[in-house]
Amino acid sequence: MAAPRHATMQSISNGGTQGSDRPHTQQSQQAQQSQQSPGLRVPSNRKTIYDRHLNRSRNAELSRASFAFLFGEMVTYAQRRVTGIQDLEKRLNEQGYPLGLRLLDLLFYRSTSTSSSALSSSSTSSSPPNRPLRIITLLHLIHGPLWRLLFGRAADALEHSVSPDTPNEYMITDNDPMVNTYISAPRDMSMLNCAAYVAGIIEGVCDGCGFETKVSAHNQPTELWPSRTVFLVRFGDAVMEREKVLERAGVK
Amino acid sequence: MPDKHRGVFSLIIINKAGGLIYQREFQAGLRKLSTNDYLVLAGTFHGVHAITRSITPKIPISQPAQPPATSSTGTAAPATSGYSYPNPGVPVSGLDHLETDKFRLTCFQTLTGTKFLLFTDPLTGSVDTIIQKIYELYADFVMKNPFYQIEMPVRCEAFDRHLGAWLRGRT
Amino acid sequence: MAAASKATASSSSTVNGSISTLNNPRLLKMSYYFTILSPTDTPLFNIAFGTSKGGGDGIARFRFPETAQYMNQFIIHSSLDILEEAQWTNSGMYLKHIDTYPPAAAYITAFLTPSGARFLLLHQPPNLPSSTSTGSGLGSSSLLGTAGSTTRASSSSIAANPTSPQTEEAVRQFMSEVYESYVKTAMSPFYKQGMEIKSPVFRTRVTAAGKKWL
Repeated sequence: MAAPRHATMQSISNGGTQGSDRPHTQQSQQAQQSQQSPGLRVPSNRKTIYDRHLNRSRNAELSRASFAFLFGEMVTYAQRRVTGIQDLEKRLNEQGYPLGLRLLDLLFYRSTSTSSSALSSSSTSSSPPNRPLRIITLLHLIHGPLWRLLFGRAADALEHSVSPDTPNEYMITDNDPMVNTYISAPRDMSMLNCAAYVAGIIEGVCDGCGFETKVSAHNQPTELWPSRTVFLVRFGDAVMEREKVLERAGVK
Repeated sequence: MPDKHRGVFSLIIINKAGGLIYQREFQAGLRKLSTNDYLVLAGTFHGVHAITRSITPKIPISQPAQPPATSSTGTAAPATSGYSYPNPGVPVSGLDHLETDKFRLTCFQTLTGTKFLLFTDPLTGSVDTIIQKIYELYADFVMKNPFYQIEMPVRCEAFDRHLGAWLRGRT
Repeated sequence: MAAASKATASSSSTVNGSISTLNNPRLLKMSYYFTILSPTDTPLFNIAFGTSKGGGDGIARFRFPETAQYMNQFIIHSSLDILEEAQWTNSGMYLKHIDTYPPAAAYITAFLTPSGARFLLLHQPPNLPSSTSTGSGLGSSSLLGTAGSTTRASSSSIAANPTSPQTEEAVRQFMSEVYESYVKTAMSPFYKQGMEIKSPVFRTRVTAAGKKWL
């Protein structure tokens, strides 16, 4: 508020004629802004996202109810003008994908900063988290750290397809996916699983690491776990080929 | 108190327009009504509830303690505010419960006008706690479900499941 | 962390020790060109800067100033093949020195974020006077140069030897600091992966990291 007023005063002192008052004001205002930082609008508390520590919200708790309502609205939004269940799941998947890409960076950032938070330790032990190069390392990363980052616990199972025809298929199981806690799909959409959103996150993480993948979420209810969900991870041919090369080269 | 849940007979949820949106029995051997009769029951109860609310008696204000020098319009005020509900801060609730010697009907109305009718054994204690828990389950598994359309019949599998499980075993 | 601070401490102690800092071979002014490339090789961010430590002015003086603008980018991009090989054999994020382009004495150091963005730092020591060409026309360069040529110690100094462990550690610190700012950028809801990073604050942060570590 103070800055524009100041600018007006300047323009009055500078501008001779009263008619050209307005353009002067704009000019001097612009000049002032560009002096501080060109084209940048800083929040009122002068803190940009770069001034906030990334670990600030690390142990913060999030309201489950507000997440449920937010996710509910996301499902409702995705449901507009969809042609069918597959289309809806595709849209949810697309909503999750960019989140996966971002989480990957955050996950690694946080795991590096914890290890170096033991400040006394020498720099040789920094950056212990390694980028996953092999499928198994990647899946363990998803099953453990990623799930903990998202849901506060590890996933319930990690399996490899037993069928020899599909060696590229892996299954991650969550007995009670957090996103589906409050969701009951209508009977005519019984195939729908809104954890397609989580499947999108997994896909984003895999793609970000350089593993081309298709991930889908499937209902596999049991007596004990009515909303048990299996995430089917299907790696692309290029990934499988590289996997063979890396195995021969002894890369872990 | 193992008897607490056994005493719950059935539950009816009525939306704010008086339409039946949920009906479920928790005990075998109850007399069944036809769907139509349930709808009529819900509508009738809704009407009776509205009437009981509007006939809530007002009581005369005990002391017309208006300082006389406040304003010139003060003369009209005592005439209109001569009567008031006993507790003006609390909205008028209307029919709260209905008791026969075989069952007790408890009505709980939410802030948005949805009514929960719980039929219980007259001997069942702490009905309020049960209703509160049912309300909580409704808020969780019905209102947070993106596929539930407001004011429409409740068809949420998770709500049924959790409600049944809680009443059966208090998990 | 500890090693780097030790390095800084030692370099600053030499500054204190010799009054005429210009004669100190440790203070060889390097020129840097830093680029962030997206996983699909789109440039997201570029910056050129020079050594600021020990009285450096932080301005890049490349050996061939008239062609540096595009040669630097060319050299960096030509190292991408090597980077992509190293990417699948070394699982660290910091891949250290990966490539050298001898004609320009340019050293390339790489850092790979888990989501596939590449941080590449081109590292160019100033012209040594033995090559007789006056190079970038820096007034003090001749002074520096004589000092550098008389004492072979310059090759082991932080700045002069881009493959020495101290340099690698300093670059690692620089990269980690940029990585932190990059993660913050990536977490912004208005940023999509593959978009150019235009934030002036980000640029200031990278410049500050360069000043601090390089």
